Amino acid sequence: MTPVNESSPTDGELITRIAARDQSAFEELHGRYARAVLGLALRRIGDRGRAEDATQDSFAAVWRSAATYDAARGPGAPWLYTVARNAIVDRLRRSPEPAFGDPPDLASEEAAPPEQAEASWVAWRVHRALAVLTEHERSIIELAYWSGLSQSEIAEFLRMPIGTVKTQTRKALARLADELEGELR
Amino acid sequence: MTVPPPSLEALVGDDLGPGELERLRSAHELLLQAGPPPELTPALEHAPVVETGRVIPLPRRYRFTAVAAAAAVAVVVFGAGYLLGGNGGSAAALRTVEMSGAGGAAATLDVFAKDEAGNWPMALTVSGLAPLPRGKTYELWLTRDGELAEPCGTFAVAAGTTEVPLNAPYRLKDFDGWVIVRAGTKTPLLSTA
Repeated sequence: MTPVNESSPTDGELITRIAARDQSAFEELHGRYARAVLGLALRRIGDRGRAEDATQDSFAAVWRSAATYDAARGPGAPWLYTVARNAIVDRLRRSPEPAFGDPPDLASEEAAPPEQAEASWVAWRVHRALAVLTEHERSIIELAYWSGLSQSEIAEFLRMPIGTVKTQTRKALARLADELEGELR
Repeated sequence: MTVPPPSLEALVGDDLGPGELERLRSAHELLLQAGPPPELTPALEHAPVVETGRVIPLPRRYRFTAVAAAAAVAVVVFGAGYLLGGNGGSAAALRTVEMSGAGGAAATLDVFAKDEAGNWPMALTVSGLAPLPRGKTYELWLTRDGELAEPCGTFAVAAGTTEVPLNAPYRLKDFDGWVIVRAGTKTPLLSTA
Protein backbone atom coordinates (compact mmCIF):
# COMPACT_ATOMS: atom_id res chain seq x y z
CA MET A 1 0.00 0.00 0.00
CA THR A 2 1.43 3.37 -0.94
CA PRO A 3 1.58 5.84 1.91
CA VAL A 4 0.18 9.25 1.22
CA ASN A 5 2.84 11.91 1.13
CA GLU A 6 3.32 15.28 -0.41
CA SER A 7 3.46 13.84 -3.93
CA SER A 8 0.53 11.44 -3.52
CA PRO A 9 -2.78 12.45 -5.03
CA THR A 10 -5.43 13.54 -2.58
CA ASP A 11 -8.60 11.53 -2.19
CA GLY A 12 -10.43 14.21 -4.16
CA GLU A 13 -7.97 13.97 -7.02
CA LEU A 14 -8.36 10.20 -7.10
CA ILE A 15 -12.16 10.50 -7.20
CA THR A 16 -11.89 12.96 -10.05
CA ARG A 17 -9.71 10.52 -11.96
CA ILE A 18 -12.16 7.71 -11.21
CA ALA A 19 -14.89 9.83 -12.75
CA ALA A 20 -12.74 9.74 -15.91
CA ARG A 21 -12.67 5.93 -15.58
CA ASP A 22 -9.11 5.62 -14.35
CA GLN A 23 -8.80 2.07 -12.98
CA SER A 24 -5.44 2.72 -11.31
CA ALA A 25 -6.95 5.59 -9.33
CA PHE A 26 -9.80 3.30 -8.33
CA GLU A 27 -7.34 0.67 -7.12
CA GLU A 28 -5.40 3.27 -5.13
CA LEU A 29 -8.49 4.68 -3.49
CA HIS A 30 -9.58 1.13 -2.68
CA GLY A 31 -6.23 0.53 -1.00
CA ARG A 32 -6.71 3.60 1.15
CA TYR A 33 -10.29 2.92 2.16
CA ALA A 34 -11.01 -0.83 1.99
CA ARG A 35 -10.52 -1.38 5.72
CA ALA A 36 -12.39 1.79 6.63
CA VAL A 37 -15.38 0.77 4.50
CA LEU A 38 -15.34 -2.79 5.79
CA GLY A 39 -15.11 -1.48 9.34
CA LEU A 40 -18.09 0.81 8.75
CA ALA A 41 -20.06 -2.06 7.22
CA LEU A 42 -19.25 -4.35 10.13
CA ARG A 43 -20.43 -1.71 12.58
CA ARG A 44 -23.71 -1.32 10.74
CA ILE A 45 -24.37 -4.90 9.67
CA GLY A 46 -22.50 -7.12 12.09
CA ASP A 47 -22.39 -10.17 9.86
CA ARG A 48 -18.98 -10.52 8.21
CA GLY A 49 -20.16 -12.00 4.91
CA ARG A 50 -22.81 -9.37 4.34
CA ALA A 51 -20.41 -6.64 5.42
CA GLU A 52 -17.97 -7.83 2.75
CA ASP A 53 -20.77 -7.70 0.18
CA ALA A 54 -21.60 -4.19 1.33
CA THR A 55 -17.96 -3.21 0.98
CA GLN A 56 -17.97 -4.34 -2.63
CA ASP A 57 -21.26 -2.49 -3.12
CA SER A 58 -19.69 0.65 -1.68
CA PHE A 59 -16.78 0.68 -4.09
CA ALA A 60 -19.06 -0.11 -6.99
CA ALA A 61 -21.11 2.93 -5.91
CA VAL A 62 -17.96 5.04 -5.77
CA TRP A 63 -17.17 4.02 -9.34
CA ARG A 64 -20.70 4.77 -10.53
CA SER A 65 -21.12 8.10 -8.80
CA ALA A 66 -17.61 9.54 -8.92
CA ALA A 67 -18.77 12.09 -11.48
CA THR A 68 -21.07 13.61 -8.87
CA TYR A 69 -18.13 14.55 -6.67
CA ASP A 70 -17.44 18.27 -6.73
CA ALA A 71 -14.04 19.20 -5.33
CA ALA A 72 -15.23 22.75 -4.79
CA ARG A 73 -17.75 21.53 -2.24
CA GLY A 74 -15.22 19.74 -0.02
CA PRO A 75 -12.56 17.09 0.28
CA GLY A 76 -12.93 13.47 -0.70
CA ALA A 77 -13.15 11.69 2.67
CA PRO A 78 -16.61 12.93 3.71
CA TRP A 79 -17.98 12.32 0.22
CA LEU A 80 -16.66 8.76 0.30
CA TYR A 81 -18.09 8.25 3.76
CA THR A 82 -21.51 9.33 2.55
CA VAL A 83 -21.40 7.11 -0.53
CA ALA A 84 -20.24 4.10 1.51
CA ARG A 85 -22.79 4.68 4.24
CA ASN A 86 -25.62 4.88 1.72
CA ALA A 87 -24.45 1.71 -0.04
CA ILE A 88 -24.32 -0.11 3.28
CA VAL A 89 -27.81 1.06 4.23
CA ASP A 90 -29.05 -0.02 0.79
CA ARG A 91 -27.52 -3.45 1.37
CA LEU A 92 -29.31 -3.70 4.73
CA ARG A 93 -32.60 -2.72 3.15
CA ARG A 94 -32.23 -5.24 0.34
CA SER A 95 -31.20 -8.17 2.52
CA PRO A 96 -31.96 -7.55 6.15
CA GLU A 97 -31.77 -11.22 7.27
CA PRO A 98 -31.52 -10.44 10.97
CA ALA A 99 -30.49 -13.58 12.81
CA PHE A 100 -31.92 -12.65 16.18
CA GLY A 101 -33.96 -9.94 17.76
CA ASP A 102 -35.14 -6.76 16.16
CA PRO A 103 -33.87 -5.65 12.80
CA PRO A 104 -31.30 -2.89 12.93
CA ASP A 105 -32.26 0.69 12.38
CA LEU A 106 -32.21 1.12 8.62
CA ALA A 107 -33.51 4.62 8.29
CA SER A 108 -30.27 6.50 8.06
CA GLU A 109 -27.17 7.40 9.96
CA GLU A 110 -28.90 10.63 10.96
CA ALA A 111 -31.58 8.62 12.71
CA ALA A 112 -29.02 6.70 14.70
CA PRO A 113 -27.86 8.01 18.06
CA PRO A 114 -25.39 10.84 17.52
CA GLU A 115 -22.78 8.92 19.50
CA GLN A 116 -23.03 6.02 17.06
CA ALA A 117 -22.61 8.29 14.07
CA GLU A 118 -19.69 10.00 15.74
CA ALA A 119 -18.04 6.66 16.56
CA SER A 120 -18.44 5.52 12.96
CA TRP A 121 -16.88 8.70 11.64
CA VAL A 122 -13.96 8.48 14.08
CA ALA A 123 -13.29 4.86 13.10
CA TRP A 124 -13.53 5.83 9.43
CA ARG A 125 -10.92 8.58 9.84
CA VAL A 126 -8.54 6.48 11.91
CA HIS A 127 -8.73 3.38 9.74
CA ARG A 128 -8.18 5.46 6.64
CA ALA A 129 -5.17 7.15 8.23
CA LEU A 130 -3.72 3.80 9.32
CA ALA A 131 -4.05 2.51 5.77
CA VAL A 132 -1.64 5.09 4.44
CA LEU A 133 1.10 4.54 7.01
CA THR A 134 4.03 2.38 6.04
CA GLU A 135 3.81 -1.29 6.91
CA HIS A 136 6.32 -0.81 9.72
CA GLU A 137 4.52 2.19 11.19
CA ARG A 138 1.21 0.34 11.09
CA SER A 139 2.74 -2.73 12.75
CA ILE A 140 4.16 -0.63 15.55
CA ILE A 141 0.76 0.97 16.17
CA GLU A 142 -1.08 -2.33 16.04
CA LEU A 143 1.35 -3.96 18.45
CA ALA A 144 1.17 -1.03 20.83
CA TYR A 145 -2.61 -0.72 20.89
CA TRP A 146 -4.22 -4.03 20.06
CA SER A 147 -1.79 -6.88 20.60
CA GLY A 148 -2.23 -6.99 24.36
CA LEU A 149 1.55 -7.02 24.72
CA SER A 150 3.38 -4.76 27.14
CA GLN A 151 6.13 -2.47 25.86
CA SER A 152 8.79 -4.86 27.16
CA GLU A 153 7.03 -7.78 25.46
CA ILE A 154 6.87 -5.81 22.21
CA ALA A 155 10.58 -5.04 22.54
CA GLU A 156 11.26 -8.73 22.98
CA PHE A 157 9.00 -9.61 20.07
CA LEU A 158 10.71 -7.10 17.78
CA ARG A 159 14.16 -7.88 19.17
CA MET A 160 14.96 -4.26 19.88
CA PRO A 161 15.63 -2.19 23.00
CA ILE A 162 12.56 -0.84 24.74
CA GLY A 163 13.82 2.70 24.19
CA THR A 164 13.82 2.08 20.44
CA VAL A 165 10.27 0.71 20.64
CA LYS A 166 9.14 3.90 22.35
CA THR A 167 10.93 6.06 19.79
CA GLN A 168 9.38 4.19 16.90
CA THR A 169 5.95 4.26 18.52
CA ARG A 170 6.32 8.00 18.94
CA LYS A 171 7.26 8.41 15.28
CA ALA A 172 4.41 6.21 14.09
CA LEU A 173 1.94 8.08 16.28
CA ALA A 174 3.25 11.39 14.97
CA ARG A 175 2.78 10.17 11.39
CA LEU A 176 -0.75 9.10 12.26
CA ALA A 177 -1.42 12.52 13.77
CA ASP A 178 -0.09 14.10 10.55
CA GLU A 179 -2.45 11.97 8.49
CA LEU A 180 -5.41 12.72 10.70
CA GLU A 181 -4.69 16.43 10.51
CA GLY A 182 -4.12 16.34 6.77
CA GLU A 183 -6.81 13.86 5.79
CA LEU A 184 -9.29 16.45 4.66
CA ARG A 185 -7.19 17.67 1.81
CA MET B 1 -10.10 -11.04 28.69
CA THR B 2 -10.17 -7.32 28.03
CA VAL B 3 -6.81 -5.72 27.45
CA PRO B 4 -6.53 -2.40 29.31
CA PRO B 5 -5.77 0.53 27.03
CA PRO B 6 -2.14 1.59 27.04
CA SER B 7 -1.28 4.98 28.47
CA LEU B 8 0.28 7.48 26.11
CA GLU B 9 3.21 8.17 28.42
CA ALA B 10 3.99 4.46 28.66
CA LEU B 11 4.03 4.23 24.88
CA VAL B 12 6.05 7.27 23.93
CA GLY B 13 7.91 8.29 27.08
CA ASP B 14 7.52 11.50 29.04
CA ASP B 15 10.17 13.73 27.50
CA LEU B 16 8.02 15.38 24.84
CA GLY B 17 7.14 19.03 24.74
CA PRO B 18 3.57 19.88 25.78
CA GLY B 19 2.51 20.81 22.24
CA GLU B 20 3.72 17.59 20.67
CA LEU B 21 2.40 15.56 23.57
CA GLU B 22 -1.08 16.99 23.08
CA ARG B 23 -0.91 16.32 19.34
CA LEU B 24 0.02 12.68 19.98
CA ARG B 25 -2.60 12.43 22.71
CA SER B 26 -5.27 13.42 20.21
CA ALA B 27 -4.19 10.65 17.83
CA HIS B 28 -3.86 8.26 20.77
CA GLU B 29 -7.41 8.89 21.94
CA LEU B 30 -8.81 8.55 18.44
CA LEU B 31 -7.02 5.19 18.11
CA LEU B 32 -8.56 3.98 21.35
CA GLN B 33 -12.02 5.10 20.21
CA ALA B 34 -11.71 3.57 16.75
CA GLY B 35 -10.40 0.15 17.72
CA PRO B 36 -8.46 -2.02 15.30
CA PRO B 37 -9.31 -1.99 11.60
CA PRO B 38 -10.73 -5.24 10.23
CA GLU B 39 -8.53 -7.59 8.28
CA LEU B 40 -9.27 -7.84 4.59
CA THR B 41 -10.01 -11.18 3.00
CA PRO B 42 -8.17 -11.87 -0.29
CA ALA B 43 -11.31 -11.02 -2.23
CA LEU B 44 -11.30 -7.52 -0.78
CA GLU B 45 -7.64 -6.80 -1.37
CA HIS B 46 -8.30 -5.39 -4.81
CA ALA B 47 -10.93 -3.02 -6.09
CA PRO B 48 -13.92 -4.77 -7.64
CA VAL B 49 -14.42 -4.93 -11.37
CA VAL B 50 -17.31 -2.60 -11.95
CA GLU B 51 -17.61 -2.05 -15.67
CA THR B 52 -20.36 -4.62 -15.98
CA GLY B 53 -22.70 -2.46 -13.92
CA ARG B 54 -25.40 -3.72 -11.63
CA VAL B 55 -25.25 -7.39 -10.80
CA ILE B 56 -27.78 -9.00 -8.52
CA PRO B 57 -26.90 -12.24 -6.77
CA LEU B 58 -29.12 -15.17 -6.10
CA PRO B 59 -30.75 -14.96 -2.72
CA ARG B 60 -28.29 -16.25 -0.16
CA ARG B 61 -30.47 -19.23 0.71
CA TYR B 62 -30.30 -20.51 -2.90
CA ARG B 63 -26.63 -19.91 -3.47
CA PHE B 64 -25.32 -23.14 -2.04
CA THR B 65 -27.89 -25.18 -3.94
CA ALA B 66 -27.10 -23.45 -7.20
CA VAL B 67 -23.37 -23.77 -6.77
CA ALA B 68 -23.59 -27.38 -5.67
CA ALA B 69 -25.83 -28.18 -8.64
CA ALA B 70 -23.46 -26.49 -11.07
CA ALA B 71 -20.49 -28.30 -9.58
CA ALA B 72 -22.31 -31.63 -9.76
CA VAL B 73 -23.27 -31.04 -13.38
CA ALA B 74 -19.69 -30.11 -14.22
CA VAL B 75 -18.30 -33.22 -12.57
CA VAL B 76 -20.81 -35.55 -14.22
CA VAL B 77 -20.45 -34.04 -17.67
CA PHE B 78 -16.70 -33.98 -17.66
CA GLY B 79 -16.45 -37.42 -16.11
CA ALA B 80 -18.72 -38.79 -18.82
CA GLY B 81 -16.85 -36.93 -21.50
CA TYR B 82 -13.55 -38.23 -20.27
CA LEU B 83 -14.78 -41.81 -20.15
CA LEU B 84 -16.68 -41.77 -23.43
CA GLY B 85 -14.54 -39.54 -25.51
CA GLY B 86 -11.09 -40.27 -24.23
CA ASN B 87 -8.68 -37.57 -23.25
CA GLY B 88 -6.18 -37.76 -26.02
CA GLY B 89 -7.97 -35.49 -28.43
CA SER B 90 -7.09 -31.87 -29.02
CA ALA B 91 -10.46 -30.37 -29.91
CA ALA B 92 -10.28 -26.79 -31.10
CA ALA B 93 -12.22 -24.19 -29.19
CA LEU B 94 -15.23 -22.82 -31.03
CA ARG B 95 -14.94 -19.58 -29.15
CA THR B 96 -12.43 -18.01 -26.82
CA VAL B 97 -13.63 -15.48 -24.29
CA GLU B 98 -11.25 -13.11 -22.57
CA MET B 99 -11.96 -11.72 -19.11
CA SER B 100 -10.00 -9.13 -17.18
CA GLY B 101 -10.04 -7.62 -13.74
CA ALA B 102 -8.24 -5.38 -11.33
CA GLY B 103 -4.67 -5.97 -10.34
CA GLY B 104 -3.79 -7.67 -13.62
CA ALA B 105 -6.12 -10.62 -13.03
CA ALA B 106 -7.15 -12.27 -16.30
CA ALA B 107 -8.87 -15.36 -17.60
CA THR B 108 -9.34 -17.12 -20.91
CA LEU B 109 -12.37 -19.30 -21.40
CA ASP B 110 -12.24 -21.76 -24.30
CA VAL B 111 -15.67 -23.02 -25.28
CA PHE B 112 -15.76 -26.34 -27.13
CA ALA B 113 -18.39 -28.01 -29.26
CA LYS B 114 -21.72 -28.68 -27.62
CA ASP B 115 -22.53 -32.30 -26.89
CA GLU B 116 -25.80 -34.03 -27.74
CA ALA B 117 -27.24 -33.26 -24.34
CA GLY B 118 -26.67 -29.54 -24.76
CA ASN B 119 -23.56 -29.11 -22.62
CA TRP B 120 -20.83 -26.73 -23.72
CA PRO B 121 -17.54 -28.05 -22.35
CA MET B 122 -15.17 -25.26 -21.43
CA ALA B 123 -11.64 -24.83 -20.22
CA LEU B 124 -10.91 -21.86 -18.00
CA THR B 125 -7.36 -20.58 -17.62
CA VAL B 126 -7.14 -17.98 -14.92
CA SER B 127 -4.30 -16.00 -13.40
CA GLY B 128 -3.94 -13.17 -10.93
CA LEU B 129 -6.75 -14.18 -8.60
CA ALA B 130 -5.75 -14.58 -4.97
CA PRO B 131 -5.81 -18.13 -3.60
CA LEU B 132 -8.65 -18.34 -1.08
CA PRO B 133 -8.72 -20.00 2.32
CA ARG B 134 -9.66 -23.68 2.39
CA GLY B 135 -13.34 -24.17 1.57
CA LYS B 136 -13.69 -20.82 -0.21
CA THR B 137 -14.10 -20.79 -3.98
CA TYR B 138 -14.65 -18.66 -7.04
CA GLU B 139 -17.58 -19.10 -9.42
CA LEU B 140 -18.02 -18.58 -13.14
CA TRP B 141 -21.38 -17.08 -14.11
CA LEU B 142 -23.14 -16.23 -17.31
CA THR B 143 -24.68 -12.77 -17.22
CA ARG B 144 -27.65 -11.15 -18.87
CA ASP B 145 -28.20 -7.38 -18.89
CA GLY B 146 -25.43 -6.97 -16.35
CA GLU B 147 -26.92 -9.41 -13.84
CA LEU B 148 -25.74 -12.82 -12.73
CA ALA B 149 -27.91 -15.25 -14.66
CA GLU B 150 -26.68 -18.84 -14.53
CA PRO B 151 -23.78 -20.47 -12.66
CA CYS B 152 -21.22 -22.43 -14.65
CA GLY B 153 -19.21 -24.01 -11.90
CA THR B 154 -17.04 -23.35 -8.95
CA PHE B 155 -13.29 -23.58 -8.65
CA ALA B 156 -10.27 -22.78 -6.54
CA VAL B 157 -7.04 -21.22 -7.73
CA ALA B 158 -3.39 -21.58 -6.84
CA ALA B 159 -0.74 -18.91 -7.09
CA GLY B 160 0.14 -18.28 -10.73
CA THR B 161 -2.05 -19.79 -13.42
CA THR B 162 -4.80 -22.33 -12.86
CA GLU B 163 -6.59 -24.34 -15.54
CA VAL B 164 -9.93 -25.88 -14.74
CA PRO B 165 -12.61 -27.65 -16.85
CA LEU B 166 -16.10 -26.23 -16.54
CA ASN B 167 -19.43 -26.63 -18.28
CA ALA B 168 -22.34 -24.51 -19.41
CA PRO B 169 -25.55 -26.52 -20.01
CA TYR B 170 -27.41 -23.49 -21.37
CA ARG B 171 -28.33 -21.75 -24.62
CA LEU B 172 -25.39 -19.40 -24.78
CA LYS B 173 -27.25 -17.07 -27.13
CA ASP B 174 -29.49 -16.19 -24.24
CA PHE B 175 -26.65 -14.46 -22.38
CA ASP B 176 -24.43 -11.49 -23.05
CA GLY B 177 -21.39 -11.93 -20.83
CA TRP B 178 -19.34 -13.92 -18.36
CA VAL B 179 -18.03 -12.98 -14.96
CA ILE B 180 -16.05 -14.58 -12.18
CA VAL B 181 -17.07 -13.78 -8.62
CA ARG B 182 -16.08 -15.02 -5.24
CA ALA B 183 -18.66 -17.63 -4.17
CA GLY B 184 -21.38 -16.00 -2.16
CA THR B 185 -20.73 -12.50 -3.44
CA LYS B 186 -22.14 -10.64 -6.37
CA THR B 187 -19.36 -8.36 -7.48
CA PRO B 188 -17.41 -9.48 -10.53
CA LEU B 189 -13.70 -9.89 -10.03
CA LEU B 190 -13.19 -10.70 -13.69
CA SER B 191 -15.54 -9.91 -16.53
CA THR B 192 -15.84 -9.81 -20.27
CA ALA B 193 -15.50 -6.40 -21.83
